[in-house]
Amino acid sequence: MNPFLETEQIMTRRRFFGLAGTGVATAALASLLNPELFAARNREPVRNAIGGLQDLPHYTPKAKRVIYLFQSGGPAQMDLYDPKPDLIRRYNEEVPKSVYPDDRKTTMTSGQTRFPVAPSRFKFNQCGQSGIELSETLPALSRMADDICVIRSMHTEAINHDPAATFFQTGSVVPGRPSMGSWLNYGLGSENGDLPSFVALTSGSGGQPLYDRLWGNGFLPGRFQGVKFRGQGDPILDLYNPGGVSSGMRRRMLDSVSRLNEMQYRKSGAPEIQTRIAQYELAYRMQSSVPELIDFSKEPKEQVDIYGPTVRRTGSYAYNCLLARRLAERGVRFIQLFHRGWDHHGSLPKRMAALTNATDRPTAALLRDLKQRGMLDDTLVVWGGEFGRTVYCQGKLTEKTYGRDHHPNCFSMWLAGAGVRGGLTYGATDDYSVNVVENGVHVHDMQATILHLLGINHELLTYRHQGRYYRLTDVFGKVVNDILT
Amino acid sequence: MLCWQNNLSGVLAVIVASFAGCISVSAVDFVRDIKPVFSDTCFKCHGPDGKAREAKLRFDRREHVVGESAPDGLIVPGQPDQSELIKRLSASDPGDRMPPPETGLKVDAEAIAKIRQWITEGAKWPEDDRHWAFVPPESPEVPAINLRTARFNQIDHFVQAKLQEKGLNPSAQANRATWLRRVSYDLTGLPPTVDELEEFLEDVSANAFENVVDRLLKSERYGEHMGLSWLEAARYADTDGYQNDRLRYQWVWRDWVFRALNDNMPFDQFTLEQLAGDMLPNRNFYTQVASGFNRNHRINSEGGSIPDEWIVEYVADRVETVGTVYLGLTFNCSRCHDHKYDPIKQKEFYQMFAFFNNVDEAGLGPNNGNSPPFIKVPKSWPQLSDAETNYIEPTKPKVRIQQTSVPRPQPGKPDTVMVMSELAKPRETYILNRGLYNQPDKSQQLRPETPESLGILPESVPRNRIGLAKWLLDPKNPLVARVTVNRFWQHFFGRGLVRTSENFGIQGELPSHPELLDWLALKFIDIDWDMKAFQRMIVLSATYRQASEASRKMIQRDPENVLLTRGPRKRLTPYQIRDTALFTSGLLVEKIGGPSVKPYMPAGLWKSISNRKYDQGKGDDLYRRSIYTYWMRTIPPPTMMVFNAAEREVCSVRKELTTTPLQALTMMNNITFVESARFIAERVVREGGENAGQRLDYLCQLLLARKPTRPERIQLMQDYKSHISEFRKDRKAAAALLAIGSRKRDAKLVANEVAAWTMLANTILNLDESITTN
Repeated sequence: MNPFLETEQIMTRRRFFGLAGTGVATAALASLLNPELFAARNREPVRNAIGGLQDLPHYTPKAKRVIYLFQSGGPAQMDLYDPKPDLIRRYNEEVPKSVYPDDRKTTMTSGQTRFPVAPSRFKFNQCGQSGIELSETLPALSRMADDICVIRSMHTEAINHDPAATFFQTGSVVPGRPSMGSWLNYGLGSENGDLPSFVALTSGSGGQPLYDRLWGNGFLPGRFQGVKFRGQGDPILDLYNPGGVSSGMRRRMLDSVSRLNEMQYRKSGAPEIQTRIAQYELAYRMQSSVPELIDFSKEPKEQVDIYGPTVRRTGSYAYNCLLARRLAERGVRFIQLFHRGWDHHGSLPKRMAALTNATDRPTAALLRDLKQRGMLDDTLVVWGGEFGRTVYCQGKLTEKTYGRDHHPNCFSMWLAGAGVRGGLTYGATDDYSVNVVENGVHVHDMQATILHLLGINHELLTYRHQGRYYRLTDVFGKVVNDILT
Repeated sequence: MLCWQNNLSGVLAVIVASFAGCISVSAVDFVRDIKPVFSDTCFKCHGPDGKAREAKLRFDRREHVVGESAPDGLIVPGQPDQSELIKRLSASDPGDRMPPPETGLKVDAEAIAKIRQWITEGAKWPEDDRHWAFVPPESPEVPAINLRTARFNQIDHFVQAKLQEKGLNPSAQANRATWLRRVSYDLTGLPPTVDELEEFLEDVSANAFENVVDRLLKSERYGEHMGLSWLEAARYADTDGYQNDRLRYQWVWRDWVFRALNDNMPFDQFTLEQLAGDMLPNRNFYTQVASGFNRNHRINSEGGSIPDEWIVEYVADRVETVGTVYLGLTFNCSRCHDHKYDPIKQKEFYQMFAFFNNVDEAGLGPNNGNSPPFIKVPKSWPQLSDAETNYIEPTKPKVRIQQTSVPRPQPGKPDTVMVMSELAKPRETYILNRGLYNQPDKSQQLRPETPESLGILPESVPRNRIGLAKWLLDPKNPLVARVTVNRFWQHFFGRGLVRTSENFGIQGELPSHPELLDWLALKFIDIDWDMKAFQRMIVLSATYRQASEASRKMIQRDPENVLLTRGPRKRLTPYQIRDTALFTSGLLVEKIGGPSVKPYMPAGLWKSISNRKYDQGKGDDLYRRSIYTYWMRTIPPPTMMVFNAAEREVCSVRKELTTTPLQALTMMNNITFVESARFIAERVVREGGENAGQRLDYLCQLLLARKPTRPERIQLMQDYKSHISEFRKDRKAAAALLAIGSRKRDAKLVANEVAAWTMLANTILNLDESITTN
């Protein structure tokens, strides 16, 4: 049972059982067990005991959970996953207008007089047995190459961070729709009674801002939203008792609240009171389950160390990677890390090196750690940002440095783990990494594929809002079967 | 008819009827039973949207289903088994079945039975099959009925007539304290004081109830509280809402709303000034400020954004907001194609769009500050001199290229407010294919028009926002009054007569009390859109004054209290919850209006995910009413969000309330609530009497407007003894608890005692009853 889902259904059930003596129970139970009789038009469908929808999953899932490493800002594909070695010969040449027309450039660069080719300064290596080509900035990941599936043919619609990130998370550039984790929460419920089933973790600073809507519930009921774990203070807001309140005192207070609420329930009959009583108990359980979760002291030191030197700094990317594994172990369904800092309009080589230096090792360590525990078989790991970057230089191009603007037409992501073909490079872009030329994967396709791996037909996970049935993938999306085992 | 019998079969009948609606022998009503099924499950491919229509079949028009244009055999009146429709709906072969399984749409057995019955009864489709909400209300007769309650009004006639029809009785009146607490919260957002409670309990005069209501309606807290839902609908906030979420200054508009409500500005004027205050012949500074309603939408200031793309978003947002707030329709569904359910064509969306497409605005926002057009607000606001109330010419956008090629307008300073202002030459409006800014259909330029199905704008009416407002406020408009009174009803009863207060279209729910809704709508127009008079009538009705307790049977039969057999029971809004803690502790600083304030916020909450830093306020700023809390759209205040506040990103008129453990953590541990508990405790010790028993009475009266029952008293006194003995043993603990929050404790009081009472106040604040009106 999940603390973030209302327990009303269970409570209702219990009260029906309580009615057994009256002979009414049969009729009542029949209606409970048959959702068609029960579910009125416009109401939420009946939920099963762990809070998921009754007809989900639609088929046997390959992934039990997802760890999504969201790289906010738009990582440059041609410096990480999409090598274009021939471009070195075209250094400082104009990118042909036939390849990159003017009409969809952001106003940060559309006024430039020149659009010169900026070849990547990074070398690429063929990695693993599969020979996936990865940038030299990713040495740790290179050693896990055979476990990842690189998609070079991602494309999106939005050209600015906010709409593009919102699009990835909710399937729409306009705010107000539920985020992916929130849909999963609604559809699949939870496997852990003491922790939320959708957790957001943030790291990095100074880059593109993040927004609560990225893990928001949109039009779904509020209990489905992601819970943000914090890097400072209480890991979950207001988790700890105030100074001077001992845990014994809190227990006493809670017992009292529970008794008084029960009295009120007997008087008013309102079922919400029973729900509230249960939620207070769950809050109390979280007060001990969360501190246990973030306490790394029982982990073997070597195991912690593989995540790199910053793993012990609360709120760092490495810390969040280890925390993600611990959340996954405890049955949390959707764990999403958001790391800021990939928006490299200028000084890209230097900033890219610094960023990959901080994130490459923890990312690879997470994969390795999951694999060692046998968890990579049923955990889907996703790495990617909201869009790619331009091949033409933003600002001044020199031998040593360059910048890149936003680019929605193509970018790279990778998937690993449950149900994904490791060691595969999928899709291709043109000679300039401007447009997709083979096996394009749209954002909605990626969303459909993630849901598919969790056993969900993305066309059937819907929610009625304002008289319309909405879904994560709007009216689009097709599963990318080619990359699945 | 169901009767309440105290035997098994009676109870069983009730349970079955309520849960398994399929057992029903009442005649089929096409509009109530059949049309919603067609709409919900067929219209997507066989409905108003011509482009999506399959097999030339449509279920939204009479002639295409049972008339001349109907395919042969689709429906054979009297013979359901011969009807193709029934065959398809119940086909076992997925290839034949409708709707196709891959759509995820289902027609359940109950609905098929209804359609079957409808065909058996002759498949009657009324000549006038307009959706109920598109037919202007006609004055319904007030049901003649003998009311058993002493105090009642016409509302009760409608409600009780329905109850009699169902064989049900209304509940007894709530006790006076419960009603007082309920009405105080509903009209002012705050509970009654202990003095107000005692005064009312002792008032035996005939007008005791009316006097309370009139006192509350006169309170300035009324405008602050009633304004909240308007602010949420108008997506009012302190930041622009995209990416870096730059700040803006729009609080003058917010203050205008509070003032208009407190002055009881009639709803028609309230509407006209907000929709067209910049254009009126007698326009002035205030009406200009009012027009800021249409500037509250989000504005994108992200560098690199394409201006034309975003102007389209702003205009679409205005159409959506006005569509939801006034018409209860989902206009945005017709932005990319004809509406799938309601008779709104894509072209009509853009004709509505044309009303709002003439604003002299820039596509990108500035880097912090108001986006033009804006006007300067005199320092003396809100006490303006006569000269200062004159209309002033708004500052127009002066777009300059920054950062290579980013076209930004100049920012308005903190002493400005954003308003509407028309371009001298209107922007051209076309249908946008797929809703995209760069795909206009230039074959036909559109002028502002209203949707045909709702009543065409007469030629004499100007095609501008004044004309639009007049059309909305025309007594013949089928929706505006209904939608508005329904929101009022939702405010007081927690559920509208139309539950889907945001959607009165075909996919919305049918009204539970259609005649009452129409009567209320016409009454509202009849009393010249007088909001306070209207609300006074609701809270003085016997229906509103009923007790909210219900038997288990009644809750099973009618969990949402649709039939109104009992009074409203509602969880408080997040604003009320926080304000109550501040108010009862005496910490609340009551000051109407002014710039938004920044109360407590955990350190780093903004900084950890954004490029903005939260400068927490000091002193009074920590204790203002929650409606004044600074609203950053991308990271809204967590204490508000945890209790289901609207995000203020887009228009919102209804929120689902949920119960989560995060709410428990907030109420138990959040600094505002702990500090409030400390000062409630000080009040209890200082004012509550000499002994613990008296103090406990006082505590409960402060928070619950009642004294504790005997078992409650026993429990709480036992708690008190345990707490105080623990604090006596551990003095540091008491000191630590009493140091939470920035307000210093009263050193004259005994720390152990105050700490123990703090825990009791914390206990009571955490009761379900504390955050609920019964």
